Amino acid sequence: MTVTTILPGSPGNTGATLRRNFWRGVGRVLRRKPSRIAGVGIVALFGAMALFGPMLYPAHLPRDNNALYAAPSLAHPFGTDFEGTDVLALVVTGSRYVILTGLATAVITVALGTALGLLAGFHRGRWDTVLMRITDMQLTIPGLPLLLVLSTIWKFQGPLEMGLVLGLLGWGGVARAVRSQTLSLRERGFIEAARGLGLSTRHIVGRELLPSMAPYIAMNVLIAVTGAIYAQVGLFFLGVLPFDSNNWGVMLNLAVFGGGALTSTAALPYLLAPLLAILLLTLGIVLIVDAMDEIFNPRLREE
Amino acid sequence: MKPFAARGGLRVNPMTRRLAGHLARGLVMIWVVTTISFVIIRNIPGNPVLGQYETLIERGMSPDAAERATAALYGFLPTGTLWEQYTGYMKALLHLDLGQSLSTPGTEVVTLIGSATKWTVLPVLGGTLLSFVLGVTLGVYAGIKRSGKLGDLLSISGSLLHGVPQYVIGLLVLAIFTTLWPIFPAGGPVDVEFVPGLNAGYLASLVQHATLPVLTYALASYGGWVLAMKSSVATVLGDDFILAAELRGLSRGVLFRYVARNAILPLFTILALSLGMLFGGAIFIERIFNYPGLGLLLVNSIGTRDYALMGGTFLVTTMAIIVANIAADLFYAVIDPRVRTGGAA
Amino acid sequence: MTTNFPQAESAAVSPLVAAPGHATAPGVRVKDLTVVYRTPLGELPAVGGVSLTIEPGTITGIVGESGSGKSTLALSLLNAVQPPGRIKGGSVEIDGLGDVVKLGGDELRQARGRHLGYVFQAAQNSLNPLKTVGKQLLDLGRSHGVDDLRALVRDAKDLLERMGLDGARVLDSHQHELSGGMRQRVGIMLALVLNAQLVILDEPTTALDMITQATILRIVREVHKERGLTTLMVTHDIGVAAEVTDRLAVMYGGRVVEHGPTMEVLGAPSHPYTRGLIRAIPRLSGDIAEAQALPGRPPTLGTLPTAGCVFRERCPLRMDICETVDPRPLTHDRRTVACHAVERSHSTAEQEEYA
Repeated sequence: MTVTTILPGSPGNTGATLRRNFWRGVGRVLRRKPSRIAGVGIVALFGAMALFGPMLYPAHLPRDNNALYAAPSLAHPFGTDFEGTDVLALVVTGSRYVILTGLATAVITVALGTALGLLAGFHRGRWDTVLMRITDMQLTIPGLPLLLVLSTIWKFQGPLEMGLVLGLLGWGGVARAVRSQTLSLRERGFIEAARGLGLSTRHIVGRELLPSMAPYIAMNVLIAVTGAIYAQVGLFFLGVLPFDSNNWGVMLNLAVFGGGALTSTAALPYLLAPLLAILLLTLGIVLIVDAMDEIFNPRLREE
Repeated sequence: MKPFAARGGLRVNPMTRRLAGHLARGLVMIWVVTTISFVIIRNIPGNPVLGQYETLIERGMSPDAAERATAALYGFLPTGTLWEQYTGYMKALLHLDLGQSLSTPGTEVVTLIGSATKWTVLPVLGGTLLSFVLGVTLGVYAGIKRSGKLGDLLSISGSLLHGVPQYVIGLLVLAIFTTLWPIFPAGGPVDVEFVPGLNAGYLASLVQHATLPVLTYALASYGGWVLAMKSSVATVLGDDFILAAELRGLSRGVLFRYVARNAILPLFTILALSLGMLFGGAIFIERIFNYPGLGLLLVNSIGTRDYALMGGTFLVTTMAIIVANIAADLFYAVIDPRVRTGGAA
Repeated sequence: MTTNFPQAESAAVSPLVAAPGHATAPGVRVKDLTVVYRTPLGELPAVGGVSLTIEPGTITGIVGESGSGKSTLALSLLNAVQPPGRIKGGSVEIDGLGDVVKLGGDELRQARGRHLGYVFQAAQNSLNPLKTVGKQLLDLGRSHGVDDLRALVRDAKDLLERMGLDGARVLDSHQHELSGGMRQRVGIMLALVLNAQLVILDEPTTALDMITQATILRIVREVHKERGLTTLMVTHDIGVAAEVTDRLAVMYGGRVVEHGPTMEVLGAPSHPYTRGLIRAIPRLSGDIAEAQALPGRPPTLGTLPTAGCVFRERCPLRMDICETVDPRPLTHDRRTVACHAVERSHSTAEQEEYA
């Protein structure tokens, strides 16, 4: 994918070819290693789980007092928890909270990170210095301790509020990536050339810059979202947030510190099920990022 | 053209200028972080500082004495304007006074942090160094054999371990080695029946208890090293001077050293940074293995609403990272001749 | 961090004079060399069946536009074509070494540096940025089993001083402390210090300013003469080639289209491409409008025609036969040209002579 090909000719038209070339590149990279298609499949599966999963179960999951910490069986593929609730049902219904937080984080990260990164890279000078200092600061202050401390004054009610906070703490990476991308396009004379053609700033940013770095932003957002999902599950696991709903982190916390799942091997599936869900989601995302990395980092492509 | 003029002492030493810049930036960062810390403690719902003050008065203490007692506890005055409270807090910090712990009455926060630090530093330092050596070695291989089966395996496993959150690895390690196959103790830093000191029983117990946290930390950070080294090696292999060295007929050993030394350079910076991160990065591991380091201290202080302790731990954690940032940059300047002499090619 | 290099006690033998008993300048015979690059479109030839003889003791220039295959050809002489490229066929016979295409492993490694010196383009960083020049020199010596490292350092210092540098100081410097021209002299020193007799320079003056460029060219000429080398110089600058070389090979689309004594090739170019190339040079004295650019674009690996003459798309003398038959290089009067039109005019001229 060469960006320089945009310069001559009408921008809209070549932009479209560029996008077509990009999708062809995606197809080729996916085909080269079939495992990557599995990655897309896994992530899609989790999306579907979050969207439709809770519909499959009643609002209040049934308890079975005769089967506390039941071993895996046909009726309960991952056994039951300390109340006799099906663990699989817990994982499936809990996915919505987790994924919703991730999506909320994604929206905030994309919006803030892209806007600030573009602003810094496009205007350079004083704007750039100030914005990058703020970004540096945001990246330096350790996120987890700050989240823990923040949890004492902010109760993070619901997945959207949670996503908002995580997004506000996590836009730095995207902003920096967008800025360096903008600067590198600038260095290649890209922006000056577009100016020379009499294109407006809005056109340059909206039609030329953003499309050419959209995949790059997507990759960084994917990483930010993954981080948000983990942070959120982790906060619930540590038990610093009130358990107001079903969530993988709550499951982990109860399994380790509450129910004593670790005292007998029979109850292990209760602990392992949410772990497995996180591992699987990570695998899916790693495979996708690996494919994206190859698309944007030709140097890694090797002969 | 006098390319060697730069070697004279005419200009301000670039290292000095670098150091000054970093110190200035570090100070600003520290100011920002302390302010955040103040704002959070000041805004905790229910205003515990004022609450403590009023409780003391209700118990019959004189307002003056109650004010002093509360100030000793939280590091700032319960009454007065926001500005007075802020300057009071900052002044106390300058004297390294972080207040007193509520959950362990009568103990200075500084003391608690000091004793927790040694439990954090030992296992995390061990885990970091272990994973660094292992990850860098395998990363070189993965970088050179990028299209081979083993190289692929290393990359994917590295990405996976790097991508999975620490607590997932920690919980799996915990489940495997304490429940499924119970060969290691589940928690705590050492068994209580041993007398602390240089005796075999105590040391053995120490090592036994540290094994799982170290293993978890090593597994969690190993992936990052493999990936970083792999991409660094790939970059260096594409550099002109490697081809030049090959065309001069340098031996494989020399070539390997050229690649490895140039590739590992940027990783030392990350190493220094992650050593700074160790103060805050071990929260999950310490919670899972009930290891009494700084991370556990922070989590527990939130659980017990011990705000002075929470603020102090947060400050120390963050400060360590800022200091590590500066140290990393200076360290890089020492090992890279291009930065050292201040010459840009 | 400075390294103290042993001082030269007395330079009894100038290193610029080839050591007595050492092999004299080698000749090079390239035959039917084909180098291909693996691409998504299959293997495409960057060098297509080139044959070229380099006489011992000459400075031969290879000129051509970027993408003409000249650098690939130069790398082939060291059997060092980089992946995704590979030598598909042909041979490169070098006196004293044999066919380097068949060399491999340690034999090949020893040949590079000891017999074949390669000097990189000045803009490229050909030195390890973390080590001083002196340490890299010692690496070179150890890699090639040089016993007397002291003598090696002495030779290096003499060579550097011969090129107008402060030897001891340069050996104690890192790459970033040297200017472009100094780096290039260090590159030449490293190529020569093991007494290589065949030196290949790849765009040695590109990215240097005019004065430094002139200095480097003078050094190349003098060193070539004093040490009795065979020198091959790859350049896109015909002016540079005219100034330094004895013989000139013009490359286009992976073929050598014309080869002969430099003055004759430039003075009376035969191949339509060479003619176009010379006409395209603007002259200081004279109207800039007289400089005529070649029509069309230079071919890339993907756009190279698979059959017929590679230059026909841009050729003013194009004939029907050019579409289907690749012209053979024919030697006539010390000059080799690969062109149907030139071939035909020669044969008509000969027929007229006998008439």
